Formats: sequence, structure tokens, C-alpha cells
Amino acid sequence: MNVNRRQVLWAGGAIGASALLAACGSGDETSAKSPAGKGEKPRRGGTLRVGALGRASAITRDPHGTQANESDYLIISLVHDTLTVPGAKPNTVPRLAASWQASDDLKTWRFTLAKGATFHDGTPVTAEDVVWSLKRLRNTPSGASRLPGIKAENIKAEGTDTVVLVSDYANAELPQLTRLTTFVLKKDTKDSDLGKAPGTGPFKLDWFRSGNARLVRNADWYGGDVHLDAIEVKIFESPQAMANALLAGQIDVASNVGAVAARTAEKRGDVQVVRRPNDMAMPIVMRTADGPFADVKVREALRLAVDREAMVKQVLSGYGTVANDILGTGDPAYAKDVPQRTRDLARAKQLLKEAGFDTSKTYQLLTTEDIAGLAESATLFASQVREAGVKVEVVRQESATFWDKTWLKGDLYTTYWGTNDSVVFFASKTMVSDSGQNEAGWKNKEFDAAYRKAMATKDAAERAKVLHELQQIEHDASGYLLWGMADGIDLAGAAVRNLPTLPGYGRVQLERAWLAR
Amino acid sequence: MAGTLTPTARPEPAAGSRQPARTALYVAGVLVRRLLLLAGLLAAVFAAVELLPGDAADATSERGESAADLAQRRRLLGLDRPVAERFWDWMTGLPTGDLGTSARGEQVADLLARPFPNTLLLGGLALLLTLAASVALGCWAAARPGGPLDRAVSASATGILALPEFVVAVALVLVFAQWTGWLPAVTLTDSDGSPASWRMLVLPVLALAIPQIGWNTRIVRAALADEARAPHIDTAVLDGLPRRRILTHHLLPGALPTIAAGVATSTGMLLGGAVVVETIFNYPGIGSVLAGAVADRDSPVIAGVVAVTGAVITAVLLLADLVRTWASGGRT
Repeated sequence: MNVNRRQVLWAGGAIGASALLAACGSGDETSAKSPAGKGEKPRRGGTLRVGALGRASAITRDPHGTQANESDYLIISLVHDTLTVPGAKPNTVPRLAASWQASDDLKTWRFTLAKGATFHDGTPVTAEDVVWSLKRLRNTPSGASRLPGIKAENIKAEGTDTVVLVSDYANAELPQLTRLTTFVLKKDTKDSDLGKAPGTGPFKLDWFRSGNARLVRNADWYGGDVHLDAIEVKIFESPQAMANALLAGQIDVASNVGAVAARTAEKRGDVQVVRRPNDMAMPIVMRTADGPFADVKVREALRLAVDREAMVKQVLSGYGTVANDILGTGDPAYAKDVPQRTRDLARAKQLLKEAGFDTSKTYQLLTTEDIAGLAESATLFASQVREAGVKVEVVRQESATFWDKTWLKGDLYTTYWGTNDSVVFFASKTMVSDSGQNEAGWKNKEFDAAYRKAMATKDAAERAKVLHELQQIEHDASGYLLWGMADGIDLAGAAVRNLPTLPGYGRVQLERAWLAR
Repeated sequence: MAGTLTPTARPEPAAGSRQPARTALYVAGVLVRRLLLLAGLLAAVFAAVELLPGDAADATSERGESAADLAQRRRLLGLDRPVAERFWDWMTGLPTGDLGTSARGEQVADLLARPFPNTLLLGGLALLLTLAASVALGCWAAARPGGPLDRAVSASATGILALPEFVVAVALVLVFAQWTGWLPAVTLTDSDGSPASWRMLVLPVLALAIPQIGWNTRIVRAALADEARAPHIDTAVLDGLPRRRILTHHLLPGALPTIAAGVATSTGMLLGGAVVVETIFNYPGIGSVLAGAVADRDSPVIAGVVAVTGAVITAVLLLADLVRTWASGGRT
């Protein structure tokens, strides 16, 4: 699934404001107690009150629509199941689909549905229901980007419990596409009934009103025991109000509330700060196709001129990790053994000289204030590369102008991706020569070849090897300067246990949470 | 000061309670003018959204949707038609109560069904509190003009009216929710979409009302001072009437038109301030609907919010006009 840019508006939430505080940042990571609750026996019962960000004007009940509200997405994913869900390792784990298998050419994929899966009204889930739902998803305006390469007519049922997807091309990572938006409804659910349509998920809808909802345990869930009696989702327009509500004890979890709230909460003994690493990438894009950064040596020089530790400490208030110019850091296939690039101003200057880079000129770095922290990252970057002799002037653009005029076209600009924990996602979407969102205009034959080979390799170990090659090329030559990854940050009351720690949309997996009270 | 605050709509001198037909005609005239003004405002809303960069199709798309997908979305939302045509469609639906469809496919009337009454409740309570507090404080100050009390009230009123709502709101949260824990920090709703407890209304109402109380106290005080200079007050004082009777029977009725106009003007300020205050307290009103709709370039939703709030402001202004007409007509 692609990330709706409004969807991540809050994700970085308060990162930026925290940059102001960064100077006095302690830097030590004192995020209190672990929310994991390991070793404790889960208790049954209780109502978990969860705050999630959303705007009243953007409320939608359509599981296959564009959910700009985190609150809407949370409600939908607790009530309805997708075929697969994000995991830590592997990053795609079963949900409504219990297993899947590919043909030898990696084009045809068979998904077998979980045994005993039923809708909340008691009727069993059939392959027909799934096919109808996937086709409905595919036929929405965003359908092509959510199920890329899979035409609606190539989604078919086989018997009652198998769904067959045929891709236009070999795709070893196809199940990944089914993780976030493949919500399953009963066949022929009318658009007008979407709000109360029975799902198959761990919770049933009790009521929904103006973005708020109460969900009760689905005792018959095929996925295992659900501990909580109920979850109440409360919609919040601002992270500040959500943090206030948590600190005042009006809610138990403030989902994706951001770094500023975390800094306040760290001082409180009765609040847990849940950090979900690898949540958000905010790379700097250097155009490779033409312009002043087309020479790979210049890009290398900038990557050596940035002080990554300082970026993480100041822009992210320390709520993040240093990155190595490879996107997809949360992927189990991420190449951890590629040596970490560190600051080397002497080498950077030498490379600039070799490339004949014109250091008398001032170069514009275009950015937006779409997510707080982004513009600050640009400013800090500009001051850092100046030490290598590169003069950069930061230009802040209005969001709509930026996406229209600068994105995919500019020589030097900031971008952001609410995470996708997958190396292949970024390779396919933003780096393969003919990809639709090739942000740096990068065309690299070896990279393309490695990508195609990886996608057509069935053997997992062999594929991992090819993916490693691919990441090495990306590290050496791509148009990205990825200095760090921001954590996703939730706050929780002292009694909350077993909250998800996955980045991005993994935060909605509340079916195993429980309350120690 | 009171003179400069006298609102623009002049009461027709001849209109009075003794001529119901003429009053009705006058009301109808004002109403028609105000509704035309509202229609003009709504047209301006559509035009303004058109001038903003990007459109609702862009705003509600996902990154990386192709140009063809975007075009399809634009067609679905009817954005490929000229703005005048879309405005006309929307306006013609208005009399039937149809406020159109949002860019995310929800009925605008449904989107506003719960939030709007909530905002009315918040604004209404704040208006009542403003009226009661500013009349009380204004009278109190005017009772001994130039005395220490008068100076204290006038000075603090001036100080308070200069405070933006968000400063008041943040301070209230800090003191009454974070430090003392006496009141809830934010408003949460129950299953019918209204605030779960009356205690949740206290802080938002105060945050909205306090700056307006400052403003209106000054108006009341000034109107009473103006009125006190009138000859019939001197007569009443010379007649030896009790101070309280002079205030309630002679001063206040004379000052009423100005006070009514001042409070009516506050209605607009209260509804505008609600957008900010609702965000800080997470109050489930139209403020957050409006903020999101502007970000989404969602003209029908923005126009829907403007239409319903405009209708309320029109009604309150009309009421204030009637009060002024009645008060001045009865006395002249």
C-alpha cells in the first residue's frame, strides 16, 4: 500500500517542535518500562480506551476507501481482517489467509483461508467473499496502486477456501501487497451498509459515532484469544489534546502521539513511552538524471558531509536511529552488514574537487512543513554540508506547490515515507528505472537487473543474496541520502500490556493487548 | 467608545411594537438582505477554494496515483465541471436540506449532524455566560464611576479582551486539568456523539467566554456611562430614586440597544473562536470539521459549515435588531 501523504501528517507529529528542545536534549534513552508484559500472565477483561488522530471532515467508513484518519483505519482493522498483516520477522504474517504458495514463475499465488474463520454474524468466510472484496478494492481509484500488477479479472476463487491472484509479472513479494488494505467484507455488501457490515476481526462493532467507536470482543475469533472485553477508539484532531487526555487519565493509549509528548511523559512514572523503531523515513533526494548532483561523486560527498548522529539527536530529539542510505530499514532482509557511512569532511571535499563541483554557487534545498521536523532536517543539513564547502539555501514550499512542482522533478529536496518496512517496496516504487515515483530520476542498469532477478527468484536464501547486492548498489549510487529513521511513539497508561511495537500500520494490532488492573 | 461600536444596521425609527405589520415587513427586509449576503459569502467560499493550490482530488489521493487515476477521481467528485456550475448545484440543493457530498463520499449533512449541535451548545453557553458576566461586571463598575472598583474592572477587562482564546485555553488546561486535576483536560463523547459529561464543557466554555466577557464588559460600562449623561437620569437622581432602581429602570433600558449589538457581534467571534478552542479541548464540534475540510479543499463541506453558522449568526443579529428596535421604539 502506498502511503497517503496526509496520512502521515501526524506521524512525525511533534518531531519538529521537539527540534527546538533538542539543544538541551539529554540523548539518553530512558523510555521507562517495557510495555511488552513478557513473563506476566495476560488477564482477561477490561476496556482499553485508545486515542487516535483524525479529522472529523475526513471520516470514512469504507474499508477500501482512502483512510486519511488513523482513527478510522484503527477501527476498520480491528473489525475487518486483511489477508496478511505486517510482522517483525518475516514482515508478512498470516491473518485471514493462513498460508500462501506461488507457482514456479512467481506469477500465480494461491492463498488458503484460515480454518473456522467466520463473519461476526456467524456465517463462514468463503473464497467468494474474499474475491468480491479484493475486486472491490481493485476497482477503487487507488486500486491500481494498492494491488499493482494484479488486474481485477485475475482475482479468482478456487473452491471455498482458496483465492488465486495472478500477477502480470513475476513477483516474489506479492503477499506483501495484501498486508494493509485487503479488508474482507461479505460478498455484495451494499455501499450504504459499509458502516455496519460484519467483519471477521478480533473485535465487533458496538457503536460508531462521529469518528468515535466502541468495539467488543469477538469470542469466536479464529486468530486466538482476545483478552480485552472492549476497545473504545477516541478521535483526536491534535496530538497535544491527545497527550493531555492521556496525562489526565482520560484514555489508556495515545497512538502515534509523537516526540514532544514523549519528552513530557518521560518525566512521569505512571506513563509508558512505547517506541516503535523504523517508523518514518525523511530522506534527502539528490537528482541523479541531470543537474549538479548527477555525478555520483557529488552525491557521495554529501552523504559523507552529513552528521547523522546530530541529525537524529536534534531533528528527532533522539527518538530515532541513524541510517545508512538504504531504504526499508525495518525489513528482515535489510543489509545490516553494509558498513555504516560516517562523517568524513576531508574525503567529501576531495570528492567534490575530483568531480569539479562548483562550490561558489548556492544550491536550493526544497522542503515543506508537511510533517513537523522535515524543514528542520533541511536546515540542519544545510549547515552541516557548509562545513564541506557546499552552500545550500533551504526553501520552504507550500505543500500543494511542492507536490506539484518539486516532487519527482527537483535537484535537491526532502521527501518522507511513513514507513514501509520493506526493501523491495522502495526499490520497486522509487528506484527501478521505470518506477512511477522515481524521486531522484535514477536509472541504474545493475540495480534494475538485481531487482528483476530478486523478484523472479523463488528460493528465499538465493533471493536474500540478490537483495543484498541490490542494497549495496543503492548504498553506493542511488539518489537518496537517508540519514536516519524516526521512531513511532505511543504513550500508554501504567496498566496497559503487550502493545504492538511494529512500525507504521503495525500499531493497530491491539488484539493481544491486555490490562493489568 | 460606545459610539464607535454601534453596529451598522440602523433601526427604522418608525418601526415599533405598535405597528406589527411594519415590523414584519422590516424583519422580512432585513432577512432577505442577510440571506443574500450569506449566498454571496457562500459563492466567495467556492471561489476561494478554487484559488487555493491543489484540489480535493489531489488532497484525497494517495501518493503515486497515476494521472489517469487522479482524473477518474476528479470526474467522480465532479471537479472537472466549472466552479459556477458546482456552486449552482450545491445552492439548489440547499433549500431541501441537501448540503452535498464530501470529497470522501460522506453526506455533508451527516458530517455536521452531531458536531453542529455540539458547537451550538458550546457557543450558546459561552454567549449566555458572556451576557450575564459582562452585564453584571459592567453595572458593578458603572455603579461608582471612577472609583477603584470601576478602574479595576475596566483595566482587567481591557487586559482580558486582548488575550487570544488559545492562550486562555492552554492556561485553563494547565491549571484546572494538569495541576489540580479538578476538571477533564479534553472532551470525550459517548455513544450519541455528545460530550460524555457536563464537566467536560466547563473549560471550553470558559476559554471561549473569557475574552468576550472582557470585550462586552467595556461595552456595557461605556453604554451605561453614555446613558448616565441623559437628562432624564439627572431627573431620576434628583427625584431621590434608589440607585438600584435607577440602574434597572432607567439606565439599563437605555443602554440595551448598544449592549444587544455588542453581544450579537460576539456571536461571530464565539463561533470563530470555537474553531481554536475545539481543537485544544478535542471538543466534537464543527471546528475540526472545518479545519480538515480546508486542508482537503473540500468545498461542499466548507460551504456547509459556513451555511449553518451563517444562518445562526443571521438569526442572532436579527434578534439583536429586534431588541434594538423594540427598545428604542418604545422609548421615543
